Amino acid sequence: MNINCSNLDDLLFDASPLSMRTAAEHAAACAACAEKLEAWNDISATAKSMQTAWQNDLLWPRIERALAKEIAEGKRRTPLRGFSRIAAVALLTIGLGSTMWFTMREQVRGAKFNGKIYQNSAMDEVEKAERDHVRAIANLQKFADAKLENTESPLMVSYKEKLMLLDDAIAECQVNIDRNRQNAHIREQLLAMYSEKQQTLKDVLREDPNVSNQ
Amino acid sequence: MLQAVMTIPMTGHDTSAEDRRMAAACAAGDAKIFEELYRRFGDRMKSIAWNHLGNAADAEDAVQETFLKIHRAAATYSGEASFSTWAYRILVNTCYDVLRKRKRRIEETSMEDDEGMTIERPTSSVDDAKRMTLRKLLDELPEQRRTVFSLFEIEGLSHAEIGQILGISEGNSKWILFSTKKELQEKWNRTRSS
Ligand SMILES: [Zn+2]
Repeated sequence: MNINCSNLDDLLFDASPLSMRTAAEHAAACAACAEKLEAWNDISATAKSMQTAWQNDLLWPRIERALAKEIAEGKRRTPLRGFSRIAAVALLTIGLGSTMWFTMREQVRGAKFNGKIYQNSAMDEVEKAERDHVRAIANLQKFADAKLENTESPLMVSYKEKLMLLDDAIAECQVNIDRNRQNAHIREQLLAMYSEKQQTLKDVLREDPNVSNQ
Repeated sequence: MLQAVMTIPMTGHDTSAEDRRMAAACAAGDAKIFEELYRRFGDRMKSIAWNHLGNAADAEDAVQETFLKIHRAAATYSGEASFSTWAYRILVNTCYDVLRKRKRRIEETSMEDDEGMTIERPTSSVDDAKRMTLRKLLDELPEQRRTVFSLFEIEGLSHAEIGQILGISEGNSKWILFSTKKELQEKWNRTRSS
């Protein structure tokens, strides 16, 4: 399969055995990509070696005692128990609501940047940038879709998958933005995803459909 | 117009009757079920906690706290994810709480941290220096990125499971992993040679 240096990231994103093999074949003849691929694989190998185990025979008895204590206390509770239980369940449900958790965490993280947005009225600019991306993507997509549909090359299949995943992630970002328009962190993420999608569509259009793929 | 494909996380999961039975038993305070949970998922829970908190003592505290939270919250288990995934979600949130309370970054792992413990790792040719480098780089990442990386690359969970644990889509988990690894890749050789 003929690939060039700009395809390396797409192959790494796809991460299928075929993509990784293709990346390795390219890296064998390209020093720049070989260095990147080596770091990529080194990171994965190092991570795999970080799964951590240790034996502590005292841990389970300790947890068991803490549970027994908590259960016993629960049983001793006064008539308020029913209400407390409902309240606790409600609080936990809220506490465990991943969306809430996600949104709140993002709000804290984005707070600093949010302040800047208010001060500088940068929100308009952010929204304009988003609109520009959407327009550019729509233009590119018209041509890229036809090309993607008419080929079964592994590279095009991996582009298709990448684009679908990006759409997925973009949609999720948009849902979060609908909940909180001022969330600067998510808006930054969305812009990054739009850029990536635009770049990927350009890569698709640049690909030569007549290149042999196997 | 942008065609967006929506994937709502945690739907369509076929929760087994077994998961619901476990949740009901946990809510009722059945000690045997907790022990079974510990036997089946305890090792992975400890590893996840260790890789978030950086030492065995804090990891064990987080696992204990998670069991208490499982007991308290089991009545709210709705079956949207498998029971183990649901438990890992509670564990990850517990680790985040510990980190926030601690208000300091994870210290580089040192043997003193786990004094008295024999830490075991999979047999591999990777040396401690590389692990230290990666730990340092992971420590600089935002919570979510670090968790996605740890759960996928260290613990071997799937993107579908990670999506359920973090309340994000499978596609987003894959995207976050890729962009995190890109960031690490760019820093890897620089940090290793410095
Ligand atoms: Zn190259």
